[in-house]
Amino acid sequence: MTELAAAPPTAPTTGSEKAAAVATEFFDRYRRQDVEGMTDLCTDNADFSYIPFEVWAKQRVFRGDGKVRTVGKVIWSGLINSFPNLGNVVHHVDANDNGDVAVACDITGTQQIAWAFIRPAGGSIVAPHLFLLHVNPDGLIDSIRAYWDNAQVCRDLGHLEVD
Amino acid sequence: MNPLSRVLGRLRRHPVEEEPAVPTSPRQTVEAFLTGFRHLDVDAALSTLSGDAGVTIHPLQIVDGGRDELATLLQDIARSLPDLLLTVRSVLELGQVVVAEIKIEGTQAADFLGVVNQEKHLDVDSAWRFTVAGEQITGIDVYWCQNQLLRRLAVKRTDQIAIV
Repeated sequence: MTELAAAPPTAPTTGSEKAAAVATEFFDRYRRQDVEGMTDLCTDNADFSYIPFEVWAKQRVFRGDGKVRTVGKVIWSGLINSFPNLGNVVHHVDANDNGDVAVACDITGTQQIAWAFIRPAGGSIVAPHLFLLHVNPDGLIDSIRAYWDNAQVCRDLGHLEVD
Repeated sequence: MNPLSRVLGRLRRHPVEEEPAVPTSPRQTVEAFLTGFRHLDVDAALSTLSGDAGVTIHPLQIVDGGRDELATLLQDIARSLPDLLLTVRSVLELGQVVVAEIKIEGTQAADFLGVVNQEKHLDVDSAWRFTVAGEQITGIDVYWCQNQLLRRLAVKRTDQIAIV
């Protein structure tokens, strides 16, 4: 396990350390709201899946599945627009030599503009997330998946309807 | 006896002969837990946990709970989803941490997490982050979207989950 507090001050050498370093840099850029910088850490065709993100319309369901450069950037930019102080607190970064990385973190922020169906009421979120990334041998992220409880996010923002 | 043999022995309802000690990887320990879970054998699943294991179930707002809270969840699932189908999308071994992505699927047959039974089909994508020490699970963090679950069970509002 790679604990943040125990992160070595020297440059990463093993595959797992390199993968963890890429993931850490990704969340540093997310904290700086540098969406272009986050995207630059990903391959051109990186997969993206925000599992809880689903919007049920009358005849179709929109899901947060696709590519980082299409769906991912739109969601990140939208979140930053709605939560101008959007940030994150990373608790654990765990990686292996195959490039798999799990990041347990809180996504934080205070809503100022409508987000999806949620009207702004000044609510704040501290939402525990688990991100699963894969870093390829070139040091670029080629897959991002995330899990969290969207019910808690909605509740904290004062939105109690499931849909 | 390694955790998987212990769980399989319980499931076969007869003791498994003592095996020579073979080092068990964190992944094997987690797979033993999942085997018990898949077979709705709560005791078998819990046998892979240490006595002081920390359990956090984010969608149920359970933080720093323990075996009892996990047992309650597993028993609720076993009772409410008797046709449980667990589909493991991935198991990632990351040192002493193992992450499993699991789709929990079944048909509601009893009240579940406060939701009245309407015999709806449920499928919810979840991620389980296990911390393993030796041959025991010492920590579990569970993530799923409660809105996804409530939507499948035809609940309209999160403050009125008993009203459908």
